[in-house]
Amino acid sequence: MNHVGKIIGKPILRKDAPGKVAGEARYVDDLALPGMIYGKVLRSPHPHARVRSIDASRALKHPGVLAVLTAQDIPGANSIGAIIKDQPILCGDVVRFAGDAVAVVAAETERAAEEAMAQVVVNYEVLPAVMDPLKAMEPGAPSVHPAGNIGTHFKARRGDVQAALRDAAVVLERRFFTQRIEHAYMEPEGAVAAVDPQGGITIWSSTQYPHRDREEVSRMLGLPQSRVRVHQMTTGGGFGGKLTPHAQCCAALIAWKTGRPAKVKYQRDESIIASHKRHPYVMDLKLGATKEGKLLAIEATLVGDTGAYLYEGRAVITKSVTHVTGPYYIPSVKADGYAVFTHTVPCGAMRGYGIPQIAFALESLMDELATRVGLDPIEVRMRNALDTTLPTATGQVLHASVPFKEMLQRTKRAADSFKPLLAKAPKGKRRGIGVGCSTRSIGSIRKSSRSTAIVTLSPDGSVTIACGHVDLGQGSDIMMAQVAAEVLGVDVDRIQLLTNDTAVAPDCESTSASRVTYLSGNAVRLAAEKVRRQVLELAGRDLGCDPEDLRLVDGVVAYRERGITLADLFNRHVYHEITAVADFMPETEPLDPETGQGSAAGTYSFSTHAALVDVDEGTGQVQVLRYAAVCDVGRLINPITVEGQVRGGVMMGIGYALTEEVKVNGGVSNPSFATYLVPTSFDVPEEISVEIVEDPEPTGPFGAKGFAEGTLDPVGAAVANAVSAAIGVRVVRLPMTSERVHALLHEPSS
Amino acid sequence: MNQRRNVRVNINGAVHDVPAVTNETLADFLRYRLGMVGTKKGCETGDCGACTVIMNGKAVNSCLVLAVEADGANVTTIEGIGSAGRLHPLQQAFIDHGAVQCGFCSPGMIVAAKSLLDDEPEAAAEDIRLAIAGNLCRCADYVAIAKAIAAAGKVLRAGK
Repeated sequence: MNHVGKIIGKPILRKDAPGKVAGEARYVDDLALPGMIYGKVLRSPHPHARVRSIDASRALKHPGVLAVLTAQDIPGANSIGAIIKDQPILCGDVVRFAGDAVAVVAAETERAAEEAMAQVVVNYEVLPAVMDPLKAMEPGAPSVHPAGNIGTHFKARRGDVQAALRDAAVVLERRFFTQRIEHAYMEPEGAVAAVDPQGGITIWSSTQYPHRDREEVSRMLGLPQSRVRVHQMTTGGGFGGKLTPHAQCCAALIAWKTGRPAKVKYQRDESIIASHKRHPYVMDLKLGATKEGKLLAIEATLVGDTGAYLYEGRAVITKSVTHVTGPYYIPSVKADGYAVFTHTVPCGAMRGYGIPQIAFALESLMDELATRVGLDPIEVRMRNALDTTLPTATGQVLHASVPFKEMLQRTKRAADSFKPLLAKAPKGKRRGIGVGCSTRSIGSIRKSSRSTAIVTLSPDGSVTIACGHVDLGQGSDIMMAQVAAEVLGVDVDRIQLLTNDTAVAPDCESTSASRVTYLSGNAVRLAAEKVRRQVLELAGRDLGCDPEDLRLVDGVVAYRERGITLADLFNRHVYHEITAVADFMPETEPLDPETGQGSAAGTYSFSTHAALVDVDEGTGQVQVLRYAAVCDVGRLINPITVEGQVRGGVMMGIGYALTEEVKVNGGVSNPSFATYLVPTSFDVPEEISVEIVEDPEPTGPFGAKGFAEGTLDPVGAAVANAVSAAIGVRVVRLPMTSERVHALLHEPSS
Repeated sequence: MNQRRNVRVNINGAVHDVPAVTNETLADFLRYRLGMVGTKKGCETGDCGACTVIMNGKAVNSCLVLAVEADGANVTTIEGIGSAGRLHPLQQAFIDHGAVQCGFCSPGMIVAAKSLLDDEPEAAAEDIRLAIAGNLCRCADYVAIAKAIAAAGKVLRAGK
């Protein structure tokens, strides 16, 4: 490979930025089609009710109203969901949370649709609801679905946990609680749909997965997928929340029924009330260790509240159970994870996907273990750290790219640098340091993942990449451009990405699970290498030399002092362009359903973080003063985008740790940014240091692997450990709001 | 309540005289009447700052201002600050400092920063933090954003 390192690892500026800073990038609500009408979704105010009747007669008389559509108007499948399709698009029979959709009103203007919506009369028979997952598991609880309230039970089994705990010198046991949180992407959900004259339909949407939009719309309308085309518009954040295309289906249904282009966009309150959340967990953990702090066994019961629907809950719970040992080797494992239905807003994918919860619980116990055996928190982690010889919770030994011990060393240096500040706490503040660590599989854990890329080299040396992994703002487009540019010896400015159109880009699954760099980075690399090989072989024949001795640079194939332009080469061989397709699928083996054992992922990424916090004794308010994130990327492709991801993930984690909680009282009771508190510029620590560790992953593109969720995974844990150290009381519940911390300070048993 | 009134407003140096419904917000007026969609709507309750514009020299949430209140006003939107082909130093600094991810908060953030630097060309870190406190960013690299604003302040001062 020539020129390796010319482009990989360089701080190359992303190409979408100028349009974004100028307000010229087009998001879905910026799109207006001639004759476009608007849809508003009517939602249930009741957590559980039977829909007896829907009377739209008055609404239909409202000026400008074109249609009021209900479940009966759906020609195909009335179900939607990322993995398990168990949510009705429009509920015809029963609503299962306050926010479930029952009708969609179409009108000439947004305002007319809104006014008419208030005139639709739904006759509900209110049914008993169960709002708490532990109560939902009890016999006799109201059923959310006919098959019962336990949506999934996933197990991990290894060794004799009971015996190991019996013999352990130290046994720690606690119950931990985490909360429901909202993605709060700045751009709410939305879609525009238009029927084309040949009987197909085109969707423009804010999405993490255009091909899923296509699948869901095609199922709903009973159309072949090939007749549904989805364009992803510039998307204002996703974080796992834009994987269920409900707005897309509503817009498509209106367009299909009325023949008019239609826009459906969610208001902010609607987005918070109805879109899926991060699963709240109740976690019972029991940890056994030797008196030297060596872990022997873990027993865990994890109950995740999946709300009214399971679409991602089974996979989220599986992720937690398969990561129950964190970045440590624990010989004996018994873990049971349950995704439990309640009559609350559904929970699904959110950046972290089951890891932030378990990291908070496990890392809290690791700190308690350190205290109990009289070790430094870093040292107790070091004694149990995974390396390239020890198995994960699923029994997989990672043979390379496990820099966890080195990362712990670096985090120790960061935490040590905070120590001189401990004595400098102002009067009325208590100061503490905490560390938090985590690991995560890159890509899905329950099934294999595949990415496909089509790379085309034109005779002028420019390149197009068609690959269906869309950029949500994290910078995956520039990553793919850098990978192809490195292989093909061109400047990234000569590369055009085609990711956001199902008609030209292959389905690569969703932009989620930290998978894009590892999977699509590889697919792009492999396709670009095929193109390069073909070009060099052609040129080798013409120049009478070994292709291995040739270099491809800026549209010229060079051999010593001689060279041939691509234009001449293509012309001579009657190629208009050279295209190659490649795909990448990591080698995995499925998890055993009884033991949870198997080599479920191609690679893992590690995170080690340290936080310095102040706790106000008077108010209980926590302020994160310093934060140090050590991040494992395999190999760095672009330092600007990586650092942006890290600081962004840390900030989102600080919100999870301190202020964010979606409250449910019937329905969501805090659906605004005035009541649901995401971090602002005032919540940023004085310093967020980012350290990148490079320990190449042999199966990754140029050694790279994913890391985006790992930036957030251990933040709740690190901040909780810092707060616990500051106040001398173990925190067992997130978020650590002022009220809660104040109570812990003044009534430690509360 | 759905009466129409003419709104005569100077936007980015050009006078527009366009009828608006009396309860229409300035954000909707800009976006849907005039097609100036660079101004974003993230919450419509004044909590996120995505719709920030400068009205008569002050940064305001255009979702909390009625279009009719802008009658006779001077308004600067993101379109008036620079274009992708001719970037303002603030916009260039956002790009150079990696302060742009999904980009949805960027127009409002840049307008808020412009308003700050117009008033206080030598704004300190704490002023910057305060000026963007009402602008939420969920990709949330406030560190890069603040650095970009400080760097742009330097460039603008040097150019004067």
